[in-house]
Amino acid sequence: MRSGPRHAGHVLAAYTVLVYLFLYLPIAVLVVFSFNASRQTAAWQGFTLEWYRRLAQDAGLQQAVRNSLAVGGLATLVATVLGTLAALGIGRGRFRGRRATQVLLILPVVLPEVVLGAALLSFFGAIALRLSLATVVIAHVVFSVSYAAIVVRARLAGLDPSLEEAARDLGAGPWETFRRVTLPLALPGILASALLVFTLSIDDYVITSFVAGVGATTLPLHIYSLLKVGVTPEVNAVSTLLLALTISLIVVAQALLRRPAASSAG
Amino acid sequence: MRRTRELRSLALAFLVLLAPGGCREAKHGQGDRRLNVYIWTNYLPDEVVAEFRRRTGIEVTVDTYSANEALLAKLQSGVADYDVVVPSDYMLKGLIPQGLLAELDHARLPRLGNLDRRFLGQRFDPGNRYSLPYLWGTTGLGYDRRKVAAPIESWQAAFDPRYAGRILMLDDMREVFGAALKLMGRSLNERDPAVLRRAAEMLKAQKRLVRTYNSSDFANLLAAGDVDVAQGYNGELAKVATRDPARLAYVVPKEGSTLWIDNLVIPRSARHRDAAYAFLDYLLEPAVAARIVNSVHYASANRAALPLVAPAIRANSAIYPPPSVLDRCELIEDLGPVTTLLDRLWTEIKAQ
Repeated sequence: MRSGPRHAGHVLAAYTVLVYLFLYLPIAVLVVFSFNASRQTAAWQGFTLEWYRRLAQDAGLQQAVRNSLAVGGLATLVATVLGTLAALGIGRGRFRGRRATQVLLILPVVLPEVVLGAALLSFFGAIALRLSLATVVIAHVVFSVSYAAIVVRARLAGLDPSLEEAARDLGAGPWETFRRVTLPLALPGILASALLVFTLSIDDYVITSFVAGVGATTLPLHIYSLLKVGVTPEVNAVSTLLLALTISLIVVAQALLRRPAASSAG
Repeated sequence: MRRTRELRSLALAFLVLLAPGGCREAKHGQGDRRLNVYIWTNYLPDEVVAEFRRRTGIEVTVDTYSANEALLAKLQSGVADYDVVVPSDYMLKGLIPQGLLAELDHARLPRLGNLDRRFLGQRFDPGNRYSLPYLWGTTGLGYDRRKVAAPIESWQAAFDPRYAGRILMLDDMREVFGAALKLMGRSLNERDPAVLRRAAEMLKAQKRLVRTYNSSDFANLLAAGDVDVAQGYNGELAKVATRDPARLAYVVPKEGSTLWIDNLVIPRSARHRDAAYAFLDYLLEPAVAARIVNSVHYASANRAALPLVAPAIRANSAIYPPPSVLDRCELIEDLGPVTTLLDRLWTEIKAQ
């Protein structure tokens, strides 16, 4: 009888391990095969850094990485600022059409990407805006600003309104209240939304494929176009590097998030 | 008074600043310094682009796509800034009537004569008013030499009960019907309903032997040993066969098969037309065309380039099938109203 809970514990642990294997094994395979001496992805034939060396020489791939980082950085900046402002406006403001604004803001999240991509392409056509890297940034801001707003809004909703009231009671103006109370408290949410936007932007294929112009091949577009000739270990290598970048970003963000949490708790 | 004059000169200065841009557009890009190319992946080696840049001083941006539909969407938007693009044969039937392409001035392409007449004047663009053939290829059968009784020569192999459960067919209505029609000695653009129904009966019987219908991964499945006989496009199949020639081979069946041609065109919206003409003429040079073939392993429509192509590639029948076989290959054409019947028969086969 007593072994019951312990037994259940083992089962749960085994189940957890299986789930994590399911989630991470493909990624581990990808990382391992980026060091594989064989060109075919089926068998291990010894360790090599050849694919990373080739990466350093592949101008097209490097340009794609630069484009992706530029688009990701710019889109993150713009979408996070806009999303934060939207979240503040909808969360704090009292105005006509607030609910409609809220629904319209969430719409891009549920809209199929193909629809949004085609719509953006015809829109750019209608206003005769030539496709370029700028149109990619605009498109990424359009689809990610909703995510940013939702994340920041969730954080704002969890804040104690009495903190802002206290600031005002103590003589702080609206700007000072925002800068010294609301913003620091919302910061973890804002950073989380920035990370989310960057992640969405860096791996978007469908919408980007519609609106990318001359010289605007991003990494997902580049990798996808390689599929016609088969995935090379170079793609594994570049994915591994991106993975390393993403993981370090998350570690940094976690470290940043822990500090304000500790100080506000103290 | 003085103030207005200052304003006026300021406005004039602005106009002067803007003028060069305006003039360049009006003259259709006399002396362009830029060229934007939108092309299939692995279709234009870097060194060929670099050589053009060295010779002309024109900065070239090359973007790649992996589907004709992506190209169509971009051209239809009217805001894509490309000067040279490379649509496939069947795509041109849509692009030309929609007025999306610029008419080519043959006088500006003195090396036009280098092209193989076989690929000129096709039905999708009689007289080549809009397009020049660039690279071409075939559909055929890839197979595992060790698993078949004798080297495959005929579409019969894809209908052979000895290979039951080890056959792959493309997940493509026209290609699958094409295999059956060619085996019957018919055109793959056959429109006679009775013949099409007979072909459908053959394909229904064949389905029991087919392991899978797959258009994206056929070469890998063959290389991995999951199937032993695979219908597929020559580019991918030739690639896996070249990597393991002792085991894998590609053949265009003797009855003939599908031929495809990818074509160089200038979109009507192109802003750098001089550079585009210079680039097309450069690609028509025999030495340049041969360098492209030697690098990308697709056959070129440039006949003058053939003596300069590496002998191993020229002799590779997966890339350059013998003329007798090529004579029996056809482009896939739009079947018009017959397509409805074909769609229904294909659904019956797949749903069986």
